[in-house]
Amino acid sequence: MSAASISRAGGLSLPRWSRLTYVAIIIVAIALFVSVTSPLLVTHDPYMFSASMNEPPNAEHILGTDDQGQDVYSRLVTGTGLSLLYGASAALVALFLGGLVGLFAMALGKVAEGILFGLVDLIRAMPGILFALAFIVAFEPGVESVILALGISFAPNFALITRATYLQQTARPYTSAAKVLGASRLRVAFVHILPNVAGALITQFAIILPRCIVSESVLSFLGLGVSPETPTWGRMIASATSYTEDAPHAVLAPIIALSLVTFSLAIIGNELRTRFDPSRRRIAL
Amino acid sequence: MNPRLVRLLGSIGLDLLRSLAIAAGIVVFTFFVIRMIPGDVVDLKGIEGSLTYSQQSAMREELGLNRGWLDQFWLWLGMVFSGDLGMSARYSTPIADLLATVIPSTLALGAAALGIGLVLGIGLPTLACLFPRSIFVALVEFITIWSITIPTFSIGILCVIVFAVWLGWIPAIGNFAVPALILGLDIAGTIAKMLHEDMTEIQTADFIRTARAKGLARVRIVLRHILPNALTTVIALIGLILASVLTGALTMEIVFGLPGLGTLALQAIKGRDYPVVQAVIIWLGFAVVMANFVTDMVQKLVDPRLRNL
Repeated sequence: MSAASISRAGGLSLPRWSRLTYVAIIIVAIALFVSVTSPLLVTHDPYMFSASMNEPPNAEHILGTDDQGQDVYSRLVTGTGLSLLYGASAALVALFLGGLVGLFAMALGKVAEGILFGLVDLIRAMPGILFALAFIVAFEPGVESVILALGISFAPNFALITRATYLQQTARPYTSAAKVLGASRLRVAFVHILPNVAGALITQFAIILPRCIVSESVLSFLGLGVSPETPTWGRMIASATSYTEDAPHAVLAPIIALSLVTFSLAIIGNELRTRFDPSRRRIAL
Repeated sequence: MNPRLVRLLGSIGLDLLRSLAIAAGIVVFTFFVIRMIPGDVVDLKGIEGSLTYSQQSAMREELGLNRGWLDQFWLWLGMVFSGDLGMSARYSTPIADLLATVIPSTLALGAAALGIGLVLGIGLPTLACLFPRSIFVALVEFITIWSITIPTFSIGILCVIVFAVWLGWIPAIGNFAVPALILGLDIAGTIAKMLHEDMTEIQTADFIRTARAKGLARVRIVLRHILPNALTTVIALIGLILASVLTGALTMEIVFGLPGLGTLALQAIKGRDYPVVQAVIIWLGFAVVMANFVTDMVQKLVDPRLRNL
Protein backbone atom coordinates (compact mmCIF):
# COMPACT_ATOMS: atom_id res chain seq x y z
CA MET A 1 0.00 0.00 0.00
CA SER A 2 1.48 3.31 -0.97
CA ALA A 3 1.84 6.28 1.31
CA ALA A 4 -0.77 8.12 -0.69
CA SER A 5 -3.53 5.60 -0.18
CA ILE A 6 -2.83 5.29 3.55
CA SER A 7 -3.24 8.94 4.21
CA ARG A 8 -6.42 9.00 2.12
CA ALA A 9 -8.25 8.17 5.31
CA GLY A 10 -6.93 11.44 6.68
CA GLY A 11 -9.21 13.49 4.50
CA LEU A 12 -7.95 15.36 1.44
CA SER A 13 -7.25 12.91 -1.31
CA LEU A 14 -3.62 13.21 -2.32
CA PRO A 15 -3.42 12.15 -5.94
CA ARG A 16 -5.66 15.01 -7.01
CA TRP A 17 -3.24 17.60 -5.83
CA SER A 18 -0.03 15.97 -6.94
CA ARG A 19 -0.22 17.53 -10.42
CA LEU A 20 -0.32 20.88 -8.68
CA THR A 21 2.67 19.75 -6.66
CA TYR A 22 4.65 19.14 -9.84
CA VAL A 23 3.82 22.65 -11.03
CA ALA A 24 4.88 23.96 -7.62
CA ILE A 25 8.18 22.08 -7.76
CA ILE A 26 8.87 23.49 -11.23
CA ILE A 27 8.14 27.04 -10.03
CA VAL A 28 10.41 26.65 -7.02
CA ALA A 29 13.13 25.14 -9.22
CA ILE A 30 12.89 28.13 -11.56
CA ALA A 31 13.08 30.51 -8.59
CA LEU A 32 16.16 28.71 -7.27
CA PHE A 33 17.76 28.77 -10.70
CA VAL A 34 17.05 32.48 -11.04
CA SER A 35 18.49 33.26 -7.63
CA VAL A 36 21.71 31.41 -8.36
CA THR A 37 22.20 32.85 -11.83
CA SER A 38 20.76 36.32 -11.21
CA PRO A 39 24.03 38.19 -11.93
CA LEU A 40 23.91 36.69 -15.43
CA LEU A 41 20.21 37.36 -15.96
CA VAL A 42 20.04 41.05 -15.08
CA THR A 43 19.90 43.53 -17.95
CA HIS A 44 20.62 46.63 -15.83
CA ASP A 45 22.31 47.41 -12.54
CA PRO A 46 19.47 46.77 -10.06
CA TYR A 47 20.74 49.55 -7.79
CA MET A 48 21.20 52.21 -10.47
CA PHE A 49 18.79 55.15 -10.53
CA SER A 50 17.86 56.79 -13.82
CA ALA A 51 15.74 59.64 -15.11
CA SER A 52 13.25 57.37 -16.85
CA MET A 53 10.83 56.83 -13.98
CA ASN A 54 7.65 54.73 -13.90
CA GLU A 55 8.08 53.65 -17.52
CA PRO A 56 5.73 50.90 -18.66
CA PRO A 57 7.34 47.70 -19.95
CA ASN A 58 9.24 48.28 -23.20
CA ALA A 59 12.11 46.88 -25.23
CA GLU A 60 14.75 48.55 -23.05
CA HIS A 61 13.14 47.65 -19.72
CA ILE A 62 11.28 44.34 -20.04
CA LEU A 63 9.17 44.99 -16.94
CA GLY A 64 9.41 48.79 -17.02
CA THR A 65 10.99 51.01 -14.39
CA ASP A 66 9.93 52.01 -10.88
CA ASP A 67 9.58 55.38 -9.17
CA GLN A 68 13.36 55.74 -8.91
CA GLY A 69 13.93 54.83 -12.54
CA GLN A 70 15.35 51.46 -11.55
CA ASP A 71 14.83 48.48 -13.84
CA VAL A 72 12.01 46.38 -12.37
CA TYR A 73 13.09 43.18 -14.09
CA SER A 74 16.66 43.36 -12.80
CA ARG A 75 15.49 44.19 -9.29
CA LEU A 76 12.97 41.36 -9.40
CA VAL A 77 15.63 38.87 -10.48
CA THR A 78 18.08 40.05 -7.82
CA GLY A 79 15.29 40.12 -5.25
CA THR A 80 14.40 36.48 -5.89
CA GLY A 81 17.67 35.32 -4.36
CA LEU A 82 17.53 37.82 -1.50
CA SER A 83 13.93 37.07 -0.55
CA LEU A 84 14.55 33.32 -0.63
CA LEU A 85 17.83 33.71 1.28
CA TYR A 86 16.38 35.90 4.03
CA GLY A 87 13.27 33.75 4.34
CA ALA A 88 15.30 30.54 4.47
CA SER A 89 17.72 32.01 7.02
CA ALA A 90 14.86 33.05 9.28
CA ALA A 91 13.26 29.61 8.99
CA LEU A 92 16.63 27.98 9.75
CA VAL A 93 17.11 30.14 12.84
CA ALA A 94 13.62 29.13 13.96
CA LEU A 95 14.40 25.45 13.27
CA PHE A 96 17.61 25.45 15.32
CA LEU A 97 16.28 27.59 18.14
CA GLY A 98 13.01 25.69 18.43
CA GLY A 99 14.63 22.28 18.00
CA LEU A 100 17.35 22.95 20.57
CA VAL A 101 14.99 24.49 23.11
CA GLY A 102 12.59 21.60 22.64
CA LEU A 103 15.25 18.89 23.03
CA PHE A 104 16.95 20.53 26.03
CA ALA A 105 13.64 21.19 27.72
CA MET A 106 12.54 17.60 27.34
CA ALA A 107 15.92 16.06 28.20
CA LEU A 108 16.57 18.12 31.34
CA GLY A 109 13.39 17.18 33.10
CA LYS A 110 10.17 18.72 34.35
CA VAL A 111 11.57 21.99 35.71
CA ALA A 112 13.45 22.83 32.53
CA GLU A 113 10.40 21.85 30.51
CA GLY A 114 8.21 24.15 32.58
CA ILE A 115 10.54 27.12 32.24
CA LEU A 116 11.49 26.73 28.59
CA PHE A 117 7.98 25.95 27.39
CA GLY A 118 6.76 28.86 29.51
CA LEU A 119 9.03 31.01 27.32
CA VAL A 120 7.62 29.33 24.24
CA ASP A 121 4.08 30.16 25.38
CA LEU A 122 5.18 33.70 26.12
CA ILE A 123 6.37 34.22 22.56
CA ARG A 124 3.27 32.53 21.18
CA ALA A 125 1.04 34.85 23.20
CA MET A 126 2.46 37.96 21.61
CA PRO A 127 1.17 38.78 18.15
CA GLY A 128 4.02 37.73 15.85
CA ILE A 129 4.08 40.81 13.71
CA LEU A 130 4.15 43.19 16.69
CA PHE A 131 6.81 41.11 18.40
CA ALA A 132 8.97 41.27 15.30
CA LEU A 133 8.35 45.00 14.90
CA ALA A 134 9.36 45.80 18.48
CA PHE A 135 12.36 43.49 18.28
CA ILE A 136 13.61 45.01 15.04
CA VAL A 137 13.28 48.56 16.27
CA ALA A 138 15.08 47.62 19.49
CA PHE A 139 18.04 46.13 17.63
CA GLU A 140 18.03 48.69 14.83
CA PRO A 141 16.47 47.74 11.48
CA GLY A 142 18.59 45.60 9.20
CA VAL A 143 18.86 42.18 7.65
CA GLU A 144 20.20 40.52 10.81
CA SER A 145 17.45 41.89 13.03
CA VAL A 146 14.77 40.81 10.58
CA ILE A 147 16.14 37.27 10.37
CA LEU A 148 16.55 36.99 14.13
CA ALA A 149 13.15 38.48 14.92
CA LEU A 150 11.36 36.16 12.49
CA GLY A 151 13.47 33.24 13.68
CA ILE A 152 12.46 33.80 17.29
CA SER A 153 8.79 34.38 16.55
CA PHE A 154 8.56 31.16 14.49
CA ALA A 155 10.73 29.06 16.85
CA PRO A 156 7.76 27.99 19.06
CA ASN A 157 6.31 25.99 16.14
CA PHE A 158 9.46 23.88 16.05
CA ALA A 159 9.69 23.57 19.82
CA LEU A 160 6.12 22.24 19.99
CA ILE A 161 6.72 19.76 17.19
CA THR A 162 9.89 18.59 18.94
CA ARG A 163 8.02 18.06 22.19
CA ALA A 164 5.20 16.13 20.56
CA THR A 165 7.62 13.89 18.65
CA TYR A 166 9.88 13.48 21.68
CA LEU A 167 6.97 12.23 23.78
CA GLN A 168 6.07 9.72 21.06
CA GLN A 169 9.65 8.53 20.82
CA THR A 170 10.21 8.08 24.57
CA ALA A 171 7.42 5.52 24.51
CA ARG A 172 9.48 3.42 22.11
CA PRO A 173 11.71 0.59 23.44
CA TYR A 174 14.91 1.98 21.92
CA THR A 175 14.95 4.94 24.31
CA SER A 176 14.55 2.68 27.33
CA ALA A 177 17.28 0.44 25.89
CA ALA A 178 19.63 3.39 25.60
CA LYS A 179 18.80 4.44 29.15
CA VAL A 180 19.41 0.95 30.50
CA LEU A 181 22.79 0.91 28.77
CA GLY A 182 23.70 3.95 30.84
CA ALA A 183 23.29 6.77 28.33
CA SER A 184 22.72 10.16 29.94
CA ARG A 185 19.46 12.01 29.30
CA LEU A 186 21.16 14.48 26.99
CA ARG A 187 22.82 11.63 25.09
CA VAL A 188 19.51 9.87 24.66
CA ALA A 189 17.95 13.12 23.45
CA PHE A 190 20.64 14.23 21.04
CA VAL A 191 22.10 10.94 19.82
CA HIS A 192 19.08 8.65 19.82
CA ILE A 193 15.94 10.75 19.65
CA LEU A 194 17.16 13.66 17.51
CA PRO A 195 17.48 11.56 14.32
CA ASN A 196 13.86 10.54 14.76
CA VAL A 197 12.67 14.10 15.37
CA ALA A 198 14.58 15.40 12.34
CA GLY A 199 11.95 14.30 9.83
CA ALA A 200 9.17 16.16 11.60
CA LEU A 201 11.37 19.24 11.93
CA ILE A 202 12.21 19.22 8.24
CA THR A 203 8.55 18.92 7.30
CA GLN A 204 7.77 21.81 9.61
CA PHE A 205 10.58 23.78 7.98
CA ALA A 206 8.91 23.34 4.61
CA ILE A 207 5.69 24.75 6.08
CA ILE A 208 7.33 27.67 7.87
CA LEU A 209 9.60 28.71 4.98
CA PRO A 210 6.91 30.38 2.84
CA ARG A 211 5.52 32.11 5.92
CA CYS A 212 8.96 33.51 6.70
CA ILE A 213 9.30 34.82 3.17
CA VAL A 214 5.91 36.53 3.40
CA SER A 215 6.68 37.91 6.86
CA GLU A 216 9.91 39.44 5.60
CA SER A 217 7.86 41.15 2.88
CA VAL A 218 5.31 42.39 5.41
CA LEU A 219 8.06 43.86 7.60
CA SER A 220 9.69 45.54 4.62
CA PHE A 221 6.28 46.78 3.54
CA LEU A 222 5.89 48.40 6.96
CA GLY A 223 9.22 50.10 6.47
CA LEU A 224 11.01 48.08 9.14
CA GLY A 225 12.64 45.35 7.14
CA VAL A 226 15.82 45.50 5.13
CA SER A 227 17.28 48.84 4.04
CA PRO A 228 15.33 50.73 1.35
CA GLU A 229 17.76 50.16 -1.53
CA THR A 230 17.84 46.36 -1.05
CA PRO A 231 15.60 44.89 -3.74
CA THR A 232 13.76 42.22 -1.78
CA TRP A 233 10.21 41.69 -3.01
CA GLY A 234 8.70 43.26 0.08
CA ARG A 235 10.82 46.36 -0.35
CA MET A 236 9.80 46.63 -4.02
CA ILE A 237 6.14 46.30 -3.08
CA ALA A 238 6.53 48.90 -0.34
CA SER A 239 8.06 51.55 -2.57
CA ALA A 240 5.76 50.84 -5.52
CA THR A 241 2.42 50.90 -3.68
CA SER A 242 2.48 54.71 -3.66
CA TYR A 243 2.52 54.70 -7.47
CA THR A 244 -0.06 52.07 -8.33
CA GLU A 245 -1.79 54.47 -10.76
CA ASP A 246 1.33 55.46 -12.70
CA ALA A 247 3.32 52.26 -12.51
CA PRO A 248 1.10 49.26 -11.75
CA HIS A 249 3.73 46.94 -13.25
CA ALA A 250 6.23 47.95 -10.55
CA VAL A 251 4.01 46.61 -7.77
CA LEU A 252 2.41 43.75 -9.72
CA ALA A 253 5.73 42.14 -10.69
CA PRO A 254 7.01 41.59 -7.13
CA ILE A 255 3.59 40.72 -5.70
CA ILE A 256 3.03 38.10 -8.40
CA ALA A 257 6.53 36.70 -7.90
CA LEU A 258 6.00 36.60 -4.15
CA SER A 259 2.58 34.98 -4.49
CA LEU A 260 3.77 32.35 -6.99
CA VAL A 261 6.79 31.29 -4.96
CA THR A 262 5.08 31.26 -1.56
CA PHE A 263 2.10 29.45 -3.10
CA SER A 264 4.41 26.79 -4.55
CA LEU A 265 6.41 26.39 -1.36
CA ALA A 266 3.22 26.09 0.66
CA ILE A 267 1.87 23.44 -1.71
CA ILE A 268 5.09 21.46 -1.38
CA GLY A 269 5.14 21.84 2.39
CA ASN A 270 1.55 20.73 2.66
CA GLU A 271 2.19 17.76 0.41
CA LEU A 272 5.21 16.75 2.53
CA ARG A 273 3.15 16.98 5.67
CA THR A 274 0.23 14.93 4.42
CA ARG A 275 2.62 12.33 3.05
CA PHE A 276 5.09 12.05 5.90
CA ASP A 277 3.35 12.85 9.10
CA PRO A 278 -0.39 12.57 8.91
CA SER A 279 -0.58 12.09 12.67
CA ARG A 280 0.83 15.52 13.41
CA ARG A 281 -1.26 17.39 10.91
CA ARG A 282 -3.12 19.31 13.58
CA ILE A 283 -0.21 20.77 15.50
CA ALA A 284 1.12 22.96 12.78
CA LEU A 285 -1.44 25.68 12.37
CA MET B 1 -16.31 17.08 47.95
CA ASN B 2 -16.65 15.11 44.79
CA PRO B 3 -13.11 13.96 43.82
CA ARG B 4 -13.89 14.56 40.17
CA LEU B 5 -14.79 18.15 40.86
CA VAL B 6 -11.62 18.58 42.92
CA ARG B 7 -9.56 17.33 40.01
CA LEU B 8 -11.33 19.62 37.56
CA LEU B 9 -10.88 22.65 39.82
CA GLY B 10 -7.25 21.77 40.53
CA SER B 11 -6.44 21.47 36.87
CA ILE B 12 -8.20 24.74 36.09
CA GLY B 13 -6.33 26.39 38.97
CA LEU B 14 -3.00 25.25 37.52
CA ASP B 15 -3.98 26.66 34.15
CA LEU B 16 -4.85 29.93 35.80
CA LEU B 17 -1.44 30.09 37.50
CA ARG B 18 0.28 29.36 34.22
CA SER B 19 -1.69 32.05 32.44
CA LEU B 20 -0.86 34.58 35.14
CA ALA B 21 2.82 33.69 34.90
CA ILE B 22 2.77 34.17 31.14
CA ALA B 23 0.93 37.49 31.50
CA ALA B 24 3.57 38.65 33.97
CA GLY B 25 6.26 37.48 31.55
CA ILE B 26 4.71 39.56 28.78
CA VAL B 27 4.72 42.66 30.99
CA VAL B 28 8.40 42.29 31.94
CA PHE B 29 9.57 41.26 28.50
CA THR B 30 7.76 44.04 26.67
CA PHE B 31 9.10 46.69 29.00
CA PHE B 32 12.71 45.66 28.57
CA VAL B 33 12.64 45.07 24.81
CA ILE B 34 10.97 48.41 24.22
CA ARG B 35 13.46 50.12 26.51
CA MET B 36 16.33 48.82 24.36
CA ILE B 37 15.20 50.93 21.44
CA PRO B 38 17.85 53.60 20.91
CA GLY B 39 16.56 57.16 21.11
CA ASP B 40 13.28 58.26 22.65
CA VAL B 41 10.31 60.35 21.67
CA VAL B 42 12.02 63.50 22.96
CA ASP B 43 14.99 62.90 20.65
CA LEU B 44 12.62 62.52 17.73
CA LYS B 45 10.76 65.72 18.54
CA GLY B 46 14.12 67.45 18.98
CA ILE B 47 15.21 66.32 15.51
CA GLU B 48 11.96 67.56 14.10
CA GLY B 49 13.02 70.91 15.56
CA SER B 50 9.96 71.57 17.66
CA LEU B 51 11.76 71.61 21.03
CA THR B 52 14.64 73.57 22.53
CA TYR B 53 17.22 71.81 24.66
CA SER B 54 15.74 72.95 27.97
CA GLN B 55 12.26 71.97 26.80
CA GLN B 56 13.67 68.55 25.95
CA SER B 57 15.06 67.99 29.42
CA ALA B 58 11.85 69.29 30.97
CA MET B 59 9.86 66.81 28.90
CA ARG B 60 12.18 63.96 29.90
CA GLU B 61 11.75 64.95 33.53
CA GLU B 62 7.99 64.96 33.16
CA LEU B 63 7.85 61.60 31.37
CA GLY B 64 10.30 60.03 33.82
CA LEU B 65 12.70 59.26 30.97
CA ASN B 66 15.68 60.66 32.88
CA ARG B 67 15.44 58.04 35.61
CA GLY B 68 17.11 54.63 35.61
CA TRP B 69 15.55 51.66 33.84
CA LEU B 70 14.66 49.92 37.06
CA ASP B 71 13.01 53.02 38.51
CA GLN B 72 10.99 53.40 35.33
CA PHE B 73 10.06 49.75 35.49
CA TRP B 74 8.68 49.91 39.06
CA LEU B 75 6.86 53.11 38.31
CA TRP B 76 5.28 51.59 35.28
CA LEU B 77 4.52 48.26 36.95
CA GLY B 78 2.54 50.14 39.59
CA MET B 79 0.62 51.85 36.83
CA VAL B 80 -0.17 48.59 35.02
CA PHE B 81 -1.60 47.12 38.22
CA SER B 82 -3.68 50.15 38.98
CA GLY B 83 -5.08 49.92 35.46
CA ASP B 84 -3.59 53.28 34.49
CA LEU B 85 -2.02 52.96 31.04
CA GLY B 86 -0.22 56.28 31.22
CA MET B 87 0.01 58.99 28.61
CA SER B 88 1.09 58.83 25.01
CA ALA B 89 4.44 60.57 24.99
CA ARG B 90 3.82 61.94 21.52
CA TYR B 91 0.25 63.14 21.58
CA SER B 92 0.03 63.85 25.34
CA THR B 93 -3.32 62.07 25.47
CA PRO B 94 -4.09 59.21 27.85
CA ILE B 95 -3.29 55.90 26.18
CA ALA B 96 -6.56 54.51 27.44
CA ASP B 97 -8.36 57.10 25.28
CA LEU B 98 -6.24 56.26 22.24
CA LEU B 99 -6.94 52.55 22.71
CA ALA B 100 -10.62 53.18 23.30
CA THR B 101 -10.95 54.92 19.94
CA VAL B 102 -9.23 52.16 17.93
CA ILE B 103 -10.11 48.93 19.74
CA PRO B 104 -13.72 48.89 18.52
CA SER B 105 -12.60 48.96 14.88
CA THR B 106 -10.08 46.17 15.39
CA LEU B 107 -12.66 44.14 17.27
CA ALA B 108 -15.23 44.77 14.54
CA LEU B 109 -12.83 43.58 11.84
CA GLY B 110 -11.82 40.57 13.92
CA ALA B 111 -15.41 39.68 14.77
CA ALA B 112 -16.57 39.99 11.16
CA ALA B 113 -13.68 37.80 10.02
CA LEU B 114 -14.29 35.28 12.79
CA GLY B 115 -17.99 35.18 11.91
CA ILE B 116 -17.28 34.49 8.24
CA GLY B 117 -14.62 31.98 9.26
CA LEU B 118 -16.89 30.05 11.62
CA VAL B 119 -19.91 30.00 9.28
CA LEU B 120 -17.90 28.86 6.25
CA GLY B 121 -15.42 26.77 8.23
CA ILE B 122 -18.09 24.77 10.01
CA GLY B 123 -20.84 24.99 7.41
CA LEU B 124 -18.93 23.76 4.39
CA PRO B 125 -17.45 20.57 5.93
CA THR B 126 -20.86 19.75 7.43
CA LEU B 127 -22.52 20.12 4.04
CA ALA B 128 -19.68 18.14 2.47
CA CYS B 129 -20.31 15.37 4.98
CA LEU B 130 -24.05 15.45 4.36
CA PHE B 131 -23.66 15.42 0.59
CA PRO B 132 -20.39 13.54 -0.09
CA ARG B 133 -20.69 13.77 -3.85
CA SER B 134 -21.60 17.42 -4.11
CA ILE B 135 -19.73 20.59 -4.93
CA PHE B 136 -19.22 21.18 -1.20
CA VAL B 137 -16.34 18.68 -1.04
CA ALA B 138 -14.54 20.61 -3.74
CA LEU B 139 -15.29 23.87 -1.93
CA VAL B 140 -13.81 22.53 1.29
CA GLU B 141 -10.67 21.51 -0.57
CA PHE B 142 -10.55 24.89 -2.27
CA ILE B 143 -10.70 27.02 0.89
CA THR B 144 -8.29 24.66 2.64
CA ILE B 145 -5.65 25.01 -0.05
CA TRP B 146 -6.46 28.72 -0.32
CA SER B 147 -5.76 29.39 3.32
CA ILE B 148 -2.61 27.29 3.36
CA THR B 149 -1.11 28.87 0.28
CA ILE B 150 -2.41 32.44 -0.12
CA PRO B 151 -1.04 34.83 2.50
CA THR B 152 -3.56 37.51 3.50
CA PHE B 153 -0.89 40.12 2.94
CA SER B 154 -0.34 39.41 -0.77
CA ILE B 155 -3.99 38.93 -1.59
CA GLY B 156 -4.81 42.10 0.37
CA ILE B 157 -2.41 44.22 -1.66
CA LEU B 158 -3.63 42.64 -4.89
CA CYS B 159 -7.22 43.45 -3.93
CA VAL B 160 -6.31 47.06 -3.16
CA ILE B 161 -4.67 47.39 -6.58
CA VAL B 162 -7.38 45.64 -8.56
CA PHE B 163 -10.58 46.71 -6.79
CA ALA B 164 -9.60 50.10 -5.43
CA VAL B 165 -7.07 51.54 -7.84
CA TRP B 166 -8.05 49.99 -11.15
CA LEU B 167 -11.73 49.24 -10.93
CA GLY B 168 -12.57 51.86 -8.33
CA TRP B 169 -15.20 49.56 -6.77
CA ILE B 170 -13.99 50.14 -3.23
CA PRO B 171 -12.26 53.13 -1.64
CA ALA B 172 -8.48 52.67 -1.46
CA ILE B 173 -8.50 53.65 2.20
CA GLY B 174 -10.96 52.50 4.84
CA ASN B 175 -12.77 49.63 3.12
CA PHE B 176 -14.04 47.15 5.65
CA ALA B 177 -15.76 44.35 3.75
CA VAL B 178 -12.82 43.16 1.63
CA PRO B 179 -10.29 42.76 4.47
CA ALA B 180 -12.96 41.06 6.60
CA LEU B 181 -13.67 38.65 3.75
CA ILE B 182 -9.97 37.95 3.12
CA LEU B 183 -9.31 37.24 6.79
CA GLY B 184 -12.54 35.28 7.12
CA LEU B 185 -11.64 33.00 4.21
CA ASP B 186 -8.23 32.41 5.74
CA ILE B 187 -9.74 31.34 9.07
CA ALA B 188 -12.47 29.34 7.38
CA GLY B 189 -9.82 27.31 5.57
CA THR B 190 -8.00 26.50 8.81
CA ILE B 191 -11.18 25.41 10.55
CA ALA B 192 -12.58 23.55 7.55
CA LYS B 193 -9.38 21.56 7.11
CA MET B 194 -9.42 20.17 10.63
CA LEU B 195 -13.14 19.65 10.73
CA HIS B 196 -13.24 17.90 7.39
CA GLU B 197 -10.41 15.55 8.36
CA ASP B 198 -12.04 14.76 11.69
CA MET B 199 -15.50 14.26 10.23
CA THR B 200 -14.17 11.88 7.60
CA GLU B 201 -12.32 9.97 10.30
CA ILE B 202 -15.28 9.79 12.69
CA GLN B 203 -17.54 8.59 9.89
CA THR B 204 -15.76 5.24 10.00
CA ALA B 205 -16.07 4.89 13.80
CA ASP B 206 -18.06 2.04 15.32
CA PHE B 207 -20.67 4.21 16.98
CA ILE B 208 -21.55 5.77 13.65
CA ARG B 209 -22.05 2.31 12.15
CA THR B 210 -24.33 1.52 15.06
CA ALA B 211 -26.26 4.72 14.54
CA ARG B 212 -26.63 3.87 10.88
CA ALA B 213 -27.72 0.32 11.68
CA LYS B 214 -30.41 1.72 13.97
CA GLY B 215 -31.78 3.39 10.88
CA LEU B 216 -31.12 6.97 11.90
CA ALA B 217 -31.45 9.55 9.16
CA ARG B 218 -28.20 10.77 7.63
CA VAL B 219 -28.91 14.36 8.66
CA ARG B 220 -29.34 13.27 12.26
CA ILE B 221 -26.15 11.19 12.23
CA VAL B 222 -24.12 14.04 10.81
CA LEU B 223 -25.55 16.80 12.98
CA ARG B 224 -25.98 14.91 16.26
CA HIS B 225 -23.16 12.35 16.20
CA ILE B 226 -20.37 13.32 13.82
CA LEU B 227 -20.33 17.12 14.10
CA PRO B 228 -20.24 17.47 17.92
CA ASN B 229 -17.40 14.97 18.17
CA ALA B 230 -15.42 16.67 15.44
CA LEU B 231 -16.03 20.11 16.95
CA THR B 232 -13.86 19.29 19.98
CA THR B 233 -10.77 19.79 17.81
CA VAL B 234 -12.04 23.18 16.70
CA ILE B 235 -12.66 24.14 20.32
CA ALA B 236 -9.12 23.08 21.17
CA LEU B 237 -7.80 25.50 18.61
CA ILE B 238 -10.06 28.47 19.31
CA GLY B 239 -7.27 30.18 21.24
CA LEU B 240 -4.86 29.85 18.34
CA ILE B 241 -7.56 30.91 15.89
CA LEU B 242 -8.34 34.03 17.93
CA ALA B 243 -4.65 34.88 18.06
CA SER B 244 -4.31 34.55 14.31
CA VAL B 245 -7.46 36.63 13.77
CA LEU B 246 -5.94 39.42 15.86
CA THR B 247 -2.56 39.29 14.14
CA GLY B 248 -4.23 39.07 10.75
CA ALA B 249 -6.42 42.04 11.58
CA LEU B 250 -3.35 44.15 12.34
CA THR B 251 -1.84 43.46 8.92
CA MET B 252 -5.14 43.98 7.10
CA GLU B 253 -5.69 47.31 8.85
CA ILE B 254 -2.36 48.57 7.64
CA VAL B 255 -2.80 47.28 4.09
CA PHE B 256 -6.33 48.69 3.77
CA GLY B 257 -5.67 51.88 5.74
CA LEU B 258 -8.24 51.11 8.42
CA PRO B 259 -7.98 52.65 11.87
CA GLY B 260 -7.20 50.13 14.59
CA LEU B 261 -4.61 48.68 16.90
CA GLY B 262 -2.32 47.73 14.01
CA THR B 263 -2.21 51.20 12.53
CA LEU B 264 -1.85 52.72 15.99
CA ALA B 265 1.04 50.39 16.86
CA LEU B 266 2.83 51.08 13.59
CA GLN B 267 2.54 54.85 14.04
CA ALA B 268 3.68 54.53 17.63
CA ILE B 269 6.71 52.45 16.66
CA LYS B 270 7.68 54.92 13.96
CA GLY B 271 7.17 57.84 16.36
CA ARG B 272 9.08 56.09 19.21
CA ASP B 273 6.04 56.46 21.40
CA TYR B 274 7.03 53.59 23.74
CA PRO B 275 4.14 53.76 26.19
CA VAL B 276 1.66 53.23 23.34
CA VAL B 277 3.66 50.36 21.81
CA GLN B 278 3.91 48.72 25.22
CA ALA B 279 0.22 49.11 25.88
CA VAL B 280 -0.77 47.62 22.52
CA ILE B 281 1.55 44.60 22.82
CA ILE B 282 0.57 43.95 26.42
CA TRP B 283 -3.16 44.16 25.88
CA LEU B 284 -3.04 42.02 22.76
CA GLY B 285 -0.87 39.55 24.67
CA PHE B 286 -3.33 39.51 27.57
CA ALA B 287 -6.17 38.91 25.14
CA VAL B 288 -4.37 35.89 23.68
CA VAL B 289 -3.48 34.49 27.12
CA MET B 290 -7.07 34.88 28.24
CA ALA B 291 -8.41 33.28 25.08
CA ASN B 292 -6.08 30.32 25.65
CA PHE B 293 -7.15 30.00 29.26
CA VAL B 294 -10.84 30.09 28.42
CA THR B 295 -10.22 27.56 25.64
CA ASP B 296 -8.52 25.17 28.05
CA MET B 297 -11.33 25.56 30.54
CA VAL B 298 -14.10 25.00 28.01
CA GLN B 299 -12.22 22.01 26.67
CA LYS B 300 -11.96 20.46 30.12
CA LEU B 301 -15.64 21.06 30.74
CA VAL B 302 -16.76 19.42 27.51
CA ASP B 303 -14.14 16.68 27.37
CA PRO B 304 -13.58 14.85 30.69
CA ARG B 305 -10.54 13.02 29.32
CA LEU B 306 -8.48 16.21 29.59
CA ARG B 307 -9.04 16.81 33.28
CA ASN B 308 -5.90 15.04 34.46
CA LEU B 309 -3.48 17.18 36.34
